[in-house]
Amino acid sequence: MTTASATRVGRAARAQGGGRWSPPEALPWLAPLLALATVFFLWPVLNVLRLAFTDSTLLRDDYAYTLQTFEQVLSDPSLGKVLGVTGIFVAASVVGQLLLGLFIALIVQRAVARKLHGAVLVRSVVLCAWVMPGVLIGVVWQIVLNEGPFGLVNSVLAETGLAPVSWLSDTKLAVVSVVTANIWRGTAFTMLLLYAALHTVNRELYDAARVDGAGRLRLLWHVTLPQIRPVLLVNVILITIATLNTFDMILSLTGGGPAQATEVLALRTFNSVFVSFNLAAGCVFAVFLLLASLLLTVVYRRVLGQEER
Amino acid sequence: MDGSRVRYVGRRLGLLAVLALASCGSDELVALDRVGQPDAPKTLRLQINASYSHQSSTPEVAEGFRKRFEAWAREHPEWRLDLNIIPDAFSTTEQARLLEKARVGQAPDCANVDSFTVPLFIEQGALQPLDEHFSEQEVEDLFPYVRDVITGPDDRIYAWWWSTDLRVIYRRTDLVPEPPRTWDELIEAAGEAEEKDPKVDGYLFNGGRWEAATFDNLAYFWMQGGKLLDEDGRPVFADGENGPKMLRVLEFLKETVDSGAAPSRVTTFTNYDEFETAAQGKSVAMFLGGSFQYTTMRSLIGKDEFSKWDVSMPPGPEPGQTATGTGGWTVAAFSDDPEKVAACMDIVRDIYVGEGNELTGELPTSRRLFDSLEAFRAPIWQRFKRYLQEGQARPGLAIYPALSSELQIAIGSVLTGSATPDEALATAGERVQQTYDLLEGR
Repeated sequence: MTTASATRVGRAARAQGGGRWSPPEALPWLAPLLALATVFFLWPVLNVLRLAFTDSTLLRDDYAYTLQTFEQVLSDPSLGKVLGVTGIFVAASVVGQLLLGLFIALIVQRAVARKLHGAVLVRSVVLCAWVMPGVLIGVVWQIVLNEGPFGLVNSVLAETGLAPVSWLSDTKLAVVSVVTANIWRGTAFTMLLLYAALHTVNRELYDAARVDGAGRLRLLWHVTLPQIRPVLLVNVILITIATLNTFDMILSLTGGGPAQATEVLALRTFNSVFVSFNLAAGCVFAVFLLLASLLLTVVYRRVLGQEER
Repeated sequence: MDGSRVRYVGRRLGLLAVLALASCGSDELVALDRVGQPDAPKTLRLQINASYSHQSSTPEVAEGFRKRFEAWAREHPEWRLDLNIIPDAFSTTEQARLLEKARVGQAPDCANVDSFTVPLFIEQGALQPLDEHFSEQEVEDLFPYVRDVITGPDDRIYAWWWSTDLRVIYRRTDLVPEPPRTWDELIEAAGEAEEKDPKVDGYLFNGGRWEAATFDNLAYFWMQGGKLLDEDGRPVFADGENGPKMLRVLEFLKETVDSGAAPSRVTTFTNYDEFETAAQGKSVAMFLGGSFQYTTMRSLIGKDEFSKWDVSMPPGPEPGQTATGTGGWTVAAFSDDPEKVAACMDIVRDIYVGEGNELTGELPTSRRLFDSLEAFRAPIWQRFKRYLQEGQARPGLAIYPALSSELQIAIGSVLTGSATPDEALATAGERVQQTYDLLEGR
């Protein structure tokens, strides 16, 4: 029985009983799950919210409730820069991962349909990036983008007679570099989800569309994408949250630098707590992250979930 | 692909391979995350930096520590060490996590603690006293600045500082024959070196977002008599008579990049490997590095090439002004089990003090060891010993990590041109003061 039907049963019982409330029949079955969710998810979130309104540090047990931490965080001139970098990092990463993941999923699906060799290998290779810890991915991209004479990309450019590029020392290109690394890291997850979703599309819809004269792009736009819309919605929400919470890869790739050029909100949270011992400010940033995730989830549901409703 | 590139990529990939395999098991006495027999009756949770373990990125050091841990396991068959190895890039940021773990009773039994954070750990009551494990003579032999840091307000010692280091200018004498005595001379010498060999960068230094960007360059501040904190621990580096001194440092660093003496990519440096790789690739004339790089450099670039290299103290704004930052690592016991504290100190004595210094090239912390260890008898080590007299340790107070972080941002902002030295210093001063007020509960 779903929660909705359980609620309906409860309402019906209340109506029959002359306004006397009785618990929904599903409650005993849901109770363990609700208890787990409360202990492991809701309580930590509420605690972070509570600490955001204090002046707590990692070094003192005592603290007072205050709005001062919020005031300080909001009046910090670098906050706008951090939010801007976070916005660019998340938007570019999500779009990049989505497009690239869909592209690879379509290619692999086509390769499997044509029984071409190597499709499984391609899928496995792409997945390698996803299973690697973020710290390692940062180190890998440091090797690739190092601006010294031994950096891989600049070495290739030099071999072809092109000038070296300041991948990590230019404040704008550094953002492009961390976005690229994050797309590389997250594309496999999107590919996996969308590849599975592509298998659920009814083949007859393609046949019918072809009879009506649809080309490949029209098939993609009018058949494939509408059919996998629910998975796309889940995918976009998940990769947005994952990208918002990314800091390990950036920490090992640029440390947030040069200066604060690649310091995203999650990294700022980490630095506040574990460098400045400022637990309260870290919690304020964590609240910002939570709000951003919730807001984007609502927006995605409205945009992508319209037809579903 | 040239040798330096192969070496650089090889070292980084080696690190990756080690990290990727870190969770694998083994029946050997030294596995990736364990030392001793898996079924040994006693266990000790030991947290160490990768550099001080068999997972060091330098193969000789890794092999040396593997042998020492193996010997220790044979001599102490009753113990199994469960290792938590911290990658070098995170060893400084790990200190805050370690402190938090200690506060909630989840710290490892025995761990590497960065020397400059020891007073903070003592203040928080996280460490066990160690006096009974060392004789008065051993404590007396330590350099005074070492003794001061590890001694608590109750005059007991709470950590054993076994390795120290300092910052020096490494230079290729065929390109820069004389050590620069002033900042102007350094910039001029870098330019001349680049003219002699267009493939080289004149001067490299740490300018990325990590502790060394602040610590290495603080020598330029200290040599002017600058003070980071006043006697009460309040940050004063951006105020009063200290402000202009820090401003001069930021202007000097900016000048190195603006003049072309240093490349703008110094803002991406987040480890010391960059210098060694550049030295091996013959693409640098001078760099501000650590004394601990001397041994690695010698083995990396070969005897002939290394003979061209010499070291000198960092130059000052005026001739005769000089200073250097001294750091290093301690081992401290967090467990209140006396048996585990004793095992922890056994590890310090048997693996790190003396033998560990010879293996890593990190300087001993006592005069006696400096004079008695064979590896440190050569003139260069005696020169390092002399330089230590100009050494300055970082303040071991809670505000320092935030101060360091803000100075890293200030240095990066100035070098990338996103802020003027004045603006960067003002912002850093304001933000550090804000954090200080919070930490002090004001």
